Amino acid sequence: MYSSVVDNIRKHRNGQMKKSSPDRSFLPPCQAACPLQMDIREYVDLTAQGRIMEALQVIRDGNPFPSICAHVCTHPCEDACRRGQVDKPVAIRALKRFAVEFGGDRMIQSEAETTREERVAIVGSGPAGLASAYYLRKLGYPVTIFEAHSEVGGMLRVGIPLYRLPRDILDTEVQRLTQMGVEIRTNTRVVSLDLLFDMGYKAVFVTIGAHQGLRMGIEGEESPGVIDGATFLREVNLGLKPSLGESIAVVGGGNVAIDAARTALRLGVPQVKILYRRSRAEMPADETEVEQALEEGVDILFLVAPTRIKRKNGRLVVTCVRMELGEPDARGRRQPVPIEGSEFDSKFDTLIAAIGQAPDMPGGFGVQTGRGSTVEVDPVTLTTNRMGVFAGGDAVTGPATVVQALAAGRLAASRIDDYLQHRYPLADREARESLEGDLLPETVEMIRKIGRLEPATLSPEARTKGFKPIELVYSWEAAVDEARRCLRCGVGAEILFQDKCASCLTCLRVCPYHVPYVDAGGTVQIPVDQCQACGVCVGECPARAIVLRKPYDRRHIAEELDHVLKSAAQSKTSPLIVGFCCQYGLFGTGALAGLWRGAKAGIWIVPVLCTAKVEPEHMLRAFEMGAEGVFIAGCGEQCARENTDFWVRQRIEKVRKMLSQIGIDPERLQTFVSNGGDGGDPATQLDKFADRIGTLYLASIIMQEVRS
Amino acid sequence: MIVAEQKSLEEIGRMIDAYGRVLILGCGTCVTVCGAGGEREVSLLHSALRVAEARGGNGAHAFSEYTLKRQCDPEFLDALQDRVEDVDAILSLGCGIGVQAVAERFPNLRVLPGVNTSFMGMAKEWGIWDERCAACGDCRLDETGGICPITRCTKGILNGPCAGPKNGKCEANKDMDCGWILIYQRLGNLQLLENMRRYYPPRDFRAPKRIVGKAEVYAGGDNEQLSI
Repeated sequence: MYSSVVDNIRKHRNGQMKKSSPDRSFLPPCQAACPLQMDIREYVDLTAQGRIMEALQVIRDGNPFPSICAHVCTHPCEDACRRGQVDKPVAIRALKRFAVEFGGDRMIQSEAETTREERVAIVGSGPAGLASAYYLRKLGYPVTIFEAHSEVGGMLRVGIPLYRLPRDILDTEVQRLTQMGVEIRTNTRVVSLDLLFDMGYKAVFVTIGAHQGLRMGIEGEESPGVIDGATFLREVNLGLKPSLGESIAVVGGGNVAIDAARTALRLGVPQVKILYRRSRAEMPADETEVEQALEEGVDILFLVAPTRIKRKNGRLVVTCVRMELGEPDARGRRQPVPIEGSEFDSKFDTLIAAIGQAPDMPGGFGVQTGRGSTVEVDPVTLTTNRMGVFAGGDAVTGPATVVQALAAGRLAASRIDDYLQHRYPLADREARESLEGDLLPETVEMIRKIGRLEPATLSPEARTKGFKPIELVYSWEAAVDEARRCLRCGVGAEILFQDKCASCLTCLRVCPYHVPYVDAGGTVQIPVDQCQACGVCVGECPARAIVLRKPYDRRHIAEELDHVLKSAAQSKTSPLIVGFCCQYGLFGTGALAGLWRGAKAGIWIVPVLCTAKVEPEHMLRAFEMGAEGVFIAGCGEQCARENTDFWVRQRIEKVRKMLSQIGIDPERLQTFVSNGGDGGDPATQLDKFADRIGTLYLASIIMQEVRS
Repeated sequence: MIVAEQKSLEEIGRMIDAYGRVLILGCGTCVTVCGAGGEREVSLLHSALRVAEARGGNGAHAFSEYTLKRQCDPEFLDALQDRVEDVDAILSLGCGIGVQAVAERFPNLRVLPGVNTSFMGMAKEWGIWDERCAACGDCRLDETGGICPITRCTKGILNGPCAGPKNGKCEANKDMDCGWILIYQRLGNLQLLENMRRYYPPRDFRAPKRIVGKAEVYAGGDNEQLSI
């Protein structure tokens, strides 16, 4: 029933621990919100540790085109991020961008082997089509993409403006697909699916997107000078330069409207207005995008809708009406109601209608379409009414986000695989429970507030001069500091061994966030939705009944220490000094370089994920294995958690007392702050410590000589 | 709850010196709560002894460790059977009761106390425990409003306060509240101040109550009538 530390260490060595300790972490809200279910918590944490390559690996596992998402994702994860309840959400998309750029995503080669015979046709090369091609190739199918336009990418190419997604990123991804053996046929409009089946394709994935601009349904809409947003963006993105005149109006409040307005600005139109019939709160466009558009000088008229367009002397006279917000509709959005007698006329050279798009489905496809001419599919299997025909992306959902399309593409790939292999499609079920519930006000109060670091952007003046990407990448330190803000939801501590728990309430008394409580039945509970995973209670529980939920977190220090001690024993350097250093702090504060620069031979560093997780046994183990000195370097005031320094000092005091009782100079155990703190430069401190240990070591050798 | 304190490593070292193979035995109840002999303390002590061993260089001892759910009941001790076969001594981190229970269960083994059993008390704050009961066998908490004069008064007097308290603190220990002033205040709150007027006769310390074999609670007997 009760296992000892030594037993555990033995188990680590034999690899038994892995089998016997399941991952008991919860699915964090960010991951649950991501259509691709990316392991965001993991890669943010790896970024915080400075392990960028590994972070990129995690990102690539969950996302076929991370660099595209890194630029344009609408980050539903950030909306779900519980850090938002404390101050502001973690800048997850910007962190992904950092990992992608610093981790060298461009350099990664993708390979795939053809192991299947059934050929699959993908109609449309948008994000859904590209993603399905990627995964189908990984599964070994020969894949052909048919693209009507001259260039690959669908909305990524013709919809999203250059300043949001540099085209070389898209080209790299397409290049990679070609490398994997995906056949791409551009300028090929598919008019009949029968033809594809005749050509020998066994399955077809229809992802034609939603490129057809919706009509406003007002008088004069057909006049020259009125264009829809999708067409406008397509023309600009394919290299045309439409002449817009001096003053234009964009109708709509979605991302396409904002994109159109900002693109017009970059084409040199001095006066750009957006007419939106609701108020800013109801605007579906991304908040940051709206903010940036305003900075660049786009004028947004809220609660205004056009009712009539007349062409006069080569200009458009647009009659508008002011609106007020009425009752909320079924979706909870307040409906705009025209105010009678509030009509007014405005003159524009061009009017861009960006009020929505629908798929433009060729009649020869013979697939059932429904509301808004979108394809009707089974949401689990993505099958249409035609056998072997699957559909996904905007063609099914109507205009949606890139990440949703990628998820649809990935789902389609596995469903097409199921279909071709005659398997019953099984829905992917996440084995872990998802983390529900908000942070309690009491918990929020105790969490250290650290402001969100936005990546730098170009100035509004510089932006509107051209189509350069406006957001810059984080610096190394900024990225690490931002990643450290993550609350690591769902990986906290739990009382795993309730039979061991002596109900001593130590956890309740030591928790910096006041999370544990005694329930009505007298049992101590550590609610997973409140725990901040600082690890203090794990190190203090006198019954060792509390563990961290992730197996890796449980083993981490013991494994690293074991590894370091083994390597140190092999190198036979003496005197041996072992340092437990916070991996977050080493990188976040740039202290690693300083420490190593100042470090002399014989100093071995055990990276730990917060020094509050270093237990007295770990320190004693280092001494047992022959360390002459042990030090702990934490982040002090820079720690994103509370009270960690206090607990490190407590434990050090405890161990020092023991050391002095067994005749070891307690000075051999030291702590310092890796960013220096009030003790000065950490490298100098470490130097002094190493010198002192060296002297002690020498003295002990002389004493031995004298004795013998 | 029983509160105990771990003995110094020197003393432990002296005790175990003569025995090669030592089982460090923890207890999962009271001494776990007060941080003297739970699984963590067992493993800490184990680590510390191994460090001492490694430093000394003689390697005279072999340690093992184990923590029982509770040492003071023979049923829990059965789990030890296999573990004591190749052991020369048990260093019990249980309270005095645990040490004796283990000794009784394994008559041929040397059982050594690793902690000093201090008192019965409760947690004041993290890491600090207060004595609350002296197990005097003659409870009068009904008369003193639920505050024990034996443990809360430094002198343990039955008719207090003495003339010593200053500003509510004890003259013998300035950090300690005067128990009798606490009793007075509490009785005041309860409107029972007339209890203070009563004279309480001295307790009969001659009565050999400590040799009580068992309390006849199960036999339906009166607690006053204890078999001696």
